Amino acid sequence: MDITLQFGQITPHLPYLLGGAWLSLQIAFLAFCGGMMLGLLGATALSFGPRWLRALVGAYVGFFMNTPQLVQIYFIFFALPDAGLLMEPYEAVLLGMTLNAGAYLTEIQRAGFTSIHRTELEAAQTIGFSLMQSVRYVILPHIMKVLFPPLSNHYILMTLGTSMAAIFGVEELTGRALNLNSQTFRSIEVFSITAGLYIVITFIATTLLALVGRGFFRARMRIL
Amino acid sequence: MRHLDIVDLRADYGSHTVLERINLEVGKGEIVSLIGPSGSGKSTLLRVILGLLPPIAGEVRIGGQTIDYRNKRDVKAIRSRVAVVFQQYNLFQNMDVLRNVTIAPVKVKGRPRAEVEEEAKLLLTRVGLGDKLKSYPDQLSGGQQQRVAIARALALKPEILLLDEVTSALDPELVNEVLDTIRDLATEGMTMLIVSHEMAFVREVSSKVVFMAAGHVVETGPPKQIFDNPQMARTQDFVGKILRH
Repeated sequence: MDITLQFGQITPHLPYLLGGAWLSLQIAFLAFCGGMMLGLLGATALSFGPRWLRALVGAYVGFFMNTPQLVQIYFIFFALPDAGLLMEPYEAVLLGMTLNAGAYLTEIQRAGFTSIHRTELEAAQTIGFSLMQSVRYVILPHIMKVLFPPLSNHYILMTLGTSMAAIFGVEELTGRALNLNSQTFRSIEVFSITAGLYIVITFIATTLLALVGRGFFRARMRIL
Repeated sequence: MRHLDIVDLRADYGSHTVLERINLEVGKGEIVSLIGPSGSGKSTLLRVILGLLPPIAGEVRIGGQTIDYRNKRDVKAIRSRVAVVFQQYNLFQNMDVLRNVTIAPVKVKGRPRAEVEEEAKLLLTRVGLGDKLKSYPDQLSGGQQQRVAIARALALKPEILLLDEVTSALDPELVNEVLDTIRDLATEGMTMLIVSHEMAFVREVSSKVVFMAAGHVVETGPPKQIFDNPQMARTQDFVGKILRH
């Protein structure tokens, strides 16, 4: 069998694909930010909340960590309309990814809470720090150092996970790649360029995050 | 002149009394050591003095002034006059050595950074760490970390220094470098209350030794009395056990 690669047919569509990549980045960023807030609430509840609240958050985390993200988004997209909650594909994907991220980020941030050294806090108290000063100078820097690497990893995973949105017709990078594939039938070219774009995106994100982590938080992160 | 005065002090953990009728005087420039078996309340006494565990009854006086531990301002005041060094150093892991030493004078006392940094450099040079200003705690040995912790405590210019088993977590070969630092402070007339298991050291530097057991002060006296001629049976038993090996 003879295959002749014809990238020339695809390269004019590069801006179209890049537009999709931009949407992917947006979805990942928004879902991550939402997930961070949910996770902060969840981790606080798990660490300091009353028993009923811990049980509730535990159920949420358990459900979202033990079911596929795709099924979760399907549920939101197809089942919630029966309950009167009609959503655009973009909204359903964003909500699903946010809730999913919230569960994972609850667990990650809770681990950060438990890693705070009580003795370091006591030292902060005995040199006269107020609670706010302890949080600002001791707790937050410590948490950031511990949490920055796993949070970065999850962010990268989420960026790649946005490709699921294509299934619901969202025109992010994978969605646009599918469109382009059905127009041109140059599958190998389309998907190798798409894969290349994902690699570029994650490479840039990983490097930037590692630089920030090392520079600001003394986090142990490898730079490729 | 009495510098630190503890009168009939009592403290509880929950329903459990951990310190009972503690009486103790530390004169200005005096070095008093607390010895006794684990769980006898030595470290707890330091925690009470610092306001980490509020007392149930009794009084703590510093320079004749009674501390009200329910009053936040009093607790804050005592923490600027009394500094502590812990067994586990408890340095701030996210700060380099210089910042560990300077952060309290700058952020708590509001002193100008440049001035505090100059002092901190002198302090760190004095404890033999003048070349480690930019190192982080996890890059230092235990003995070095403990000396940073001592410098951090001294940077607040305390009147009284509390040392809580400062050599217990150290490898044997690192103990002396820390003890030397404390000896230097002793010769400079710093008032110190020391919890220690280094009996030879306690005997050497202390003007007074307090033997505690089960939350009580059993016997107080000069080192010669406590180690060579203890009066109480409980003290004789403890001293006999530790000096035998």
